[in-house]
Amino acid sequence: MFDPARVARFDGVAIFAALATLICAAPAIAVFALALTRSDGGADFAGGLLRDGAIGTLSLMLAGGLGAIVFGATSAWLVGLCRFPGRSVFEWLLVAPLAAPSYILAYAYASLTWSGGPIPIPIAGFWGAAFVYAIGLYPYVYLAGRAAFVSQSSGALEAARTLGARPAQVFWRVALPLARPAIAAGGALAMMEIAADYGAAHHFGLTTLSTAVFRAWYAHGSPGMALQISAVLLAGAILFLMVERRARGRASFANASRGRETPRYRLSPLSSAAAFLFCAALATFGALLPLAWLLRLALLHANVEDIVQPFVNSMMLSSGGALVTLVLAASIAAAARRTGAFGKASLYAAAMGYAAPGAVLAMGALALFGAAREAGWVGGLGAGLALTALIWSYAARFASAGVQPIDAGLARLSKGLDSSARTLGAGPWRRFLHVDLPIAAPSLAAAALILFVEILKELPATLILRPFDFDTLAVKAYAYASDERLLEAAAPALLIFVAGLLPILVLSRGIGVRRVAT
Amino acid sequence: MVNVYSARHYDSDRALYAAFEQATGIAVRVLPANAEQLLERLRAEGEATEADLVVAADAGNLWRIKEAGLLQNVTTPALEAGVPARLRDGDGAYWGFTKRARVIVYRKDAVQPAQVANYDDLANPRFRGQIVMRSSTNTYQLSTLASRIERLGAENARAWAAGVRANFVRDPQGSDTDQIKAVAAGEAQATLVNHYYHFRLMRSEDPADREVAAKTGIVFPDQAGAGTHINISGAGVTAHAKRRDRAVQLLEYLVSDEAQTLLAPMNVEFPIRPAIAPAPDLAALGAFKEEDIALGVLGRHQAEAARIFEEVGWR
Repeated sequence: MFDPARVARFDGVAIFAALATLICAAPAIAVFALALTRSDGGADFAGGLLRDGAIGTLSLMLAGGLGAIVFGATSAWLVGLCRFPGRSVFEWLLVAPLAAPSYILAYAYASLTWSGGPIPIPIAGFWGAAFVYAIGLYPYVYLAGRAAFVSQSSGALEAARTLGARPAQVFWRVALPLARPAIAAGGALAMMEIAADYGAAHHFGLTTLSTAVFRAWYAHGSPGMALQISAVLLAGAILFLMVERRARGRASFANASRGRETPRYRLSPLSSAAAFLFCAALATFGALLPLAWLLRLALLHANVEDIVQPFVNSMMLSSGGALVTLVLAASIAAAARRTGAFGKASLYAAAMGYAAPGAVLAMGALALFGAAREAGWVGGLGAGLALTALIWSYAARFASAGVQPIDAGLARLSKGLDSSARTLGAGPWRRFLHVDLPIAAPSLAAAALILFVEILKELPATLILRPFDFDTLAVKAYAYASDERLLEAAAPALLIFVAGLLPILVLSRGIGVRRVAT
Repeated sequence: MVNVYSARHYDSDRALYAAFEQATGIAVRVLPANAEQLLERLRAEGEATEADLVVAADAGNLWRIKEAGLLQNVTTPALEAGVPARLRDGDGAYWGFTKRARVIVYRKDAVQPAQVANYDDLANPRFRGQIVMRSSTNTYQLSTLASRIERLGAENARAWAAGVRANFVRDPQGSDTDQIKAVAAGEAQATLVNHYYHFRLMRSEDPADREVAAKTGIVFPDQAGAGTHINISGAGVTAHAKRRDRAVQLLEYLVSDEAQTLLAPMNVEFPIRPAIAPAPDLAALGAFKEEDIALGVLGRHQAEAARIFEEVGWR
């Protein structure tokens, strides 16, 4: 029988989303293909590397990810729904660690705390790395969590209060369960970041799947083996997302519509002091302390290198890359809400890259380019093509960082709303533009912010795919840091921080203002 | 114009290219990245590559690029006169233009230089729990062990690596500089690093770094034996260079007296020929005996070296 609803599933938005998925997943798919076809020996050591790497990655995801969730959810609750001195400053300051690449944090903490550094508690080894991840990545949870807390139905919270629940009870029994999808989405991002990280884990001497990839590649001289370990990482990412979504379960739909503004809890003096100290510690260890240390190093180094052009390049790449990725991510997230199994599959496919090191996806992109060249479709990797491949790699790497928050934002879209719009005769594009996007607007802003900062920090894909004489801040910082010149690396690293802080400030305040307006 | 893929991120190289441009009017465009990744890019680009010259640190990296068929053989009188035979590829696929030594750094107030005169001393049980080392993913570690495999065989190399591993204070972490700092802080008695990291600390604008350098000493190992392990930075013309002549011109410039003299004081590496004086602080250490092996073998043994490191648990 003819079923109009069935036909409507494959509308323009869905087709565009399918295309977007293909674009985002192509480099990862190329990695799978390469993993199957390329073999250059070394199978005898692969087992040990794979086993130790998997254990290392999983334990770091657990330790660092849980830390990030605890830090992020607690601070989001405090800033979002409580009142205490300094709250309005912390509102944006707590996002600051997002602007610090993990490898820069790792280098900064190593020089701060190792071997005769000014702080005599060495941040090293497994727990050191877990700390660096937790303190650097909690803003993912904080951003998502705060948006969720703030937009929560005031009715539910007020009912709980009227029934005599104390703030802590409201947090545990009502607010946290309601915000769980958002917090889980933020936590998932943090964990996938941990899985993909190479720089910090390597500097701390840990064996993870990512460091195993580079050990196979660099030390054993076996790119084939590196690709095979990467394939495990990519497959693991899909599995991880499936588990995460299952755990989230039906909670995604439990979020009610917005109500009036919820009055913030006034905390007791003691609680206020604790809240202040907690938030201050997060901001200090996640941003202020490493920033101050970098500033000291930068000032010690008298020569000012040329960082204006790298700054401009970074800004251009980050804005362009974020825009492209955001468009792709938004369409994927919106289509996934409407098209059942197909949409879910595209969600996973697009998300793979987020758990893979950028260098590996860049290798996938290079292979695609190589195939296109051999087919005679393109010539050499000139500046234009190189930048295109680079932005493509960004989309492949970070699509998930856009999809996750937008998807969480769309979770508030009730099925009824979409049906109503459809009944009123709105086509797929109109529903996407006039229903989905406005509803997901705060999440879109958060996604844009995260994407911009992610690309600003991105190193390995940029390193290998950029054109001649084209440096970004991250490349500059890395070039010096890898050459063990921390003094020279400090200035570009600081600029990454600053450049990332600006949009964070704007967007973070935007989210705050929105709360007052609704 | 000539295009360079470079795995060296040094400002000194920029100065060198600028000087070349000044002298010849040929603009040098550079893409600095990791050697392994540049190799993958060259591979994907094939004959369409824009790169004319590849510059890499470590002979093993250059060997891998050559093995992948991405370099072409070049021999000119200027190159042959400029680069000693063991510091270049036998076929002319790559040519060294700077030298670095793998030296032992020890804590001055606890260790006598004579106690760490040889690489073997690092494996001596008297240093149990007193040695720090960088990860063996690092190419310099691989080449150090590769040279040992070449001279003394895989069994000897394995025994040495296992001995050093048994002396570790902790699992490898951080960079060469971090190892020197650990020695200075008294966490360990000795380590193995490229010589210039120590000199950089000595020259650092950070007083804390200079203090680290002051507390530690350098030994050129194996002076009574085979000599200190030497590695190179080198360059080769790409197989599909579009501007081959200019690439050769730049390559010849890199080993010329002018470039060598310019480079010496900036980067504390050793010039490729003994005739050119190194930086004064480096020259002050005096001449030393260098290990006499053809560096082309380093790459050939690197995979085996990595395997040995894996087996003895030194990652």
